[in-house]
Amino acid sequence: MEKSGLPVKAYNQALDELVRRVERSLVVVYNGRIWAGAGVIWRGDGLIVTNHHVVGRGPVRITLPDSRQLPAQVIARRPELDLALLEIKGEDLPPAEIADGRAIQVGQVVFAFGHPWGQRNVVTAGIVSGLGVARSRHGADVPVIRSDVRLAPGNSGGPLVNASGGVIGINTMIVGGDLGIAIPSHIVDDMVTRVRGPRLLVVGVLV
Amino acid sequence: MNTGNNPLQALSEAMSAAAARAGAWTVLVDARRRMPASGIALAADQVLTAEHVLEKNSAITVMLADGTRLQAEVAGRDPGSDLAVLRLDKPLATPAVPAAGEAQIGALVLALGRPHAEGIQASLGVVSARGGPLRTGRGGLLESYLRTDAIPYPGFSGGPLVNAAGEVVGLNTSGLARGASLVIPSSLAWRLAEALFKHGQVRRGFLGVRTQPVALPAVQQSILGREQAAGLLVVGLESGGPAEQSGLLVGDILVALDAQAVTDADELLTQLAGERVGETLILEVLRGGEPQELQVTIGARP
Repeated sequence: MEKSGLPVKAYNQALDELVRRVERSLVVVYNGRIWAGAGVIWRGDGLIVTNHHVVGRGPVRITLPDSRQLPAQVIARRPELDLALLEIKGEDLPPAEIADGRAIQVGQVVFAFGHPWGQRNVVTAGIVSGLGVARSRHGADVPVIRSDVRLAPGNSGGPLVNASGGVIGINTMIVGGDLGIAIPSHIVDDMVTRVRGPRLLVVGVLV
Repeated sequence: MNTGNNPLQALSEAMSAAAARAGAWTVLVDARRRMPASGIALAADQVLTAEHVLEKNSAITVMLADGTRLQAEVAGRDPGSDLAVLRLDKPLATPAVPAAGEAQIGALVLALGRPHAEGIQASLGVVSARGGPLRTGRGGLLESYLRTDAIPYPGFSGGPLVNAAGEVVGLNTSGLARGASLVIPSSLAWRLAEALFKHGQVRRGFLGVRTQPVALPAVQQSILGREQAAGLLVVGLESGGPAEQSGLLVGDILVALDAQAVTDADELLTQLAGERVGETLILEVLRGGEPQELQVTIGARP
């Protein structure tokens, strides 16, 4: 490998580091049905983002990466975006790094995290295939990220991340054969901000 | 963000740069109902696309990367290779850059398409296989082709497969192998496109001969003075065709054309696939166990 002059080792290290970092904020969402969905710890205060269709009417439970199981409260739903916000009470909840869902380019490398067919913490890789607008079942036009990343039931509500591990979207469903759809992170963040208020910026010099 | 020491991010940026570069010459071709397809700009006023996506001959619209819509007409089309060249009414397209050399198995590639006005679409894969020649029906023969595991989305036919530098490795089409996705290598596609633009069609050489491969015993190989395990037994001649006019007879065994051995029908087709119409070539045959040479003037496939 070293002979080829390619940074294969560094590439694998970067991949490994990315996976570890994203998985710290990846949760399993149970709603009493067979297939669990995925979710992302969006803020350290216990706010979790997942899909509307992952959350049923019954009680919702969360499994954290460290195997802690906690009950979750549904605090907001946007069916037209297929998004739901959950709240859990607990300590030590590392939020995901949120990247700007507007600064996305076709062709850039992306990774999807989730629990396809119930298998925990599966990572699939691909690229951004296209950017566009999808008409939701509720008749609203929603900006979406299309990707060729392989998704299956159980990926719903999980993050689509860029090459530095920043969340650029929430995977929602599979349409048109092999195309995966994600709701861009800035749309998600708008919803979170409306419910929770703006994220507090930490500024100033630490002395 | 520091991208200098993160190879993942460097790869990501290289791939999106390749998509952006090649997106500039990947155009939308609207020439059928329901589903537009894609095309590759060859020159400022020429677009290469897949022949099977042209369901109409007039009122074809081409949309460039910047959203400009142009009228286009068919300059040439060839169902045998599923390629067509369109002439644009204004020379505004950005010409594509073909990749030099043969595509290597395992090379990272992007399949690109512009099936709607929303923008470019891409999928990632590798060059999975090289193959050929492939008989495509209607006398067509593709000398070589590529396969990729990049997903061909609806409307990708006619669009490019590009390498990590954004250069065109080939043209994607689902029209040649019963809907399966195939890639026509750019060297072949560019060559056929030139003929299409010049003549309106690809003129394929024609002999007017039906053959059956037969094994050549060692004795006959030594008579011929070549190590050739098989030849083509002539089992039929088109009346008035070039082969009949050359004096070829049913029962002759064809062993070479233009000093190139022919051991099966595909090799003969490959020899006739180039620009050979009108050329007079030497046909080597075995007749009654004796070698003979005949002169044949290659005709055009009707």
